[in-house]
Amino acid sequence: MIQEFCDWLSMTGVSVAFQSANWFVPTVQTVHIISIAILLTSVYVVSFRLIGVTRGAQPLSVLIAKSTPWVWTTLCVLLGTGILLTITEPARELLNWVFRLKMLMVVALASILLFVQIRLRRSPEYWTESPARRLAARAIGIAAVIIGAGIVTAGRWIAYV
Amino acid sequence: MPLEQALTRLQNLSFPTQIRESDWLFPTIETVHVFALVLVVGTIMTVDLRLLGFANKERPFSQVAAEMLPWTWVAFVVAALAGMLMFSSKALTYYDNIPFRLKMVCLLLAGINMVMFHWLGTRRLEAWDRGPPPRAARFSGGASLLLWTIIVAAGRWIGFTT
Repeated sequence: MIQEFCDWLSMTGVSVAFQSANWFVPTVQTVHIISIAILLTSVYVVSFRLIGVTRGAQPLSVLIAKSTPWVWTTLCVLLGTGILLTITEPARELLNWVFRLKMLMVVALASILLFVQIRLRRSPEYWTESPARRLAARAIGIAAVIIGAGIVTAGRWIAYV
Repeated sequence: MPLEQALTRLQNLSFPTQIRESDWLFPTIETVHVFALVLVVGTIMTVDLRLLGFANKERPFSQVAAEMLPWTWVAFVVAALAGMLMFSSKALTYYDNIPFRLKMVCLLLAGINMVMFHWLGTRRLEAWDRGPPPRAARFSGGASLLLWTIIVAAGRWIGFTT
């Protein structure tokens, strides 16, 4: 069924137009990579603070609040550019297990970030209040770092699998 | 031509040959390159955006730079080493490739821009550290943003033209 959908999508006028413009895929990928750069840097700055690797000058709650708009804006751009790339080459993405793994990791990372941000609304000290919370924050930070690296890795391997 | 001989000799070395002939070595090195590069670009752009007044406006410039730039350097070294390994596997092809040359020129320009900024742009840093930077420093931030965008784009084009 997915195969049929890919066949259909790849023959639509939009997909054919994207495919025939040589500049299209590299240009969209460039925007995709720069957005990933900003997203991953924002995520890592927050994660390293959660883990305790770095001690920034600003409080954790301020850091997270400031990273929030960047995180969701870049995620939207990534989703948009990702959809454009999928429309151009549906089978390359949708039939690829690495692509599916990447999407699972994207959902996992977005959920983790949302969770961290929402809990912080209860109290700015939420993630530093008790030893248990600090431990949880550390585990979440490590998970975000690993998943973030996994997303970039999977993104590159889509082209090879 | 001596340079072409050197490049041929380089790509015929044992590890470059292994990278070229293996199914997984090149994509693995490339993954390390992309991962490191993403962090280089993200941390540099954070500093550039502070210079241009788009992010971290309320924080001293020196604080943003001190938090970001050590990571930039570590990531840059990793990206450069992985890039050299990729280059060594097909040295002649990359040497002839226009996007590759453009990328190298932009890297050089980004380096010059950075040196100029540290020499001239931060001379009277105390005067603007907590506020908007002078025009020269903003120009430097804009140039860096543009150059790194071209570096990413050219890097992507290499993959489509080799």
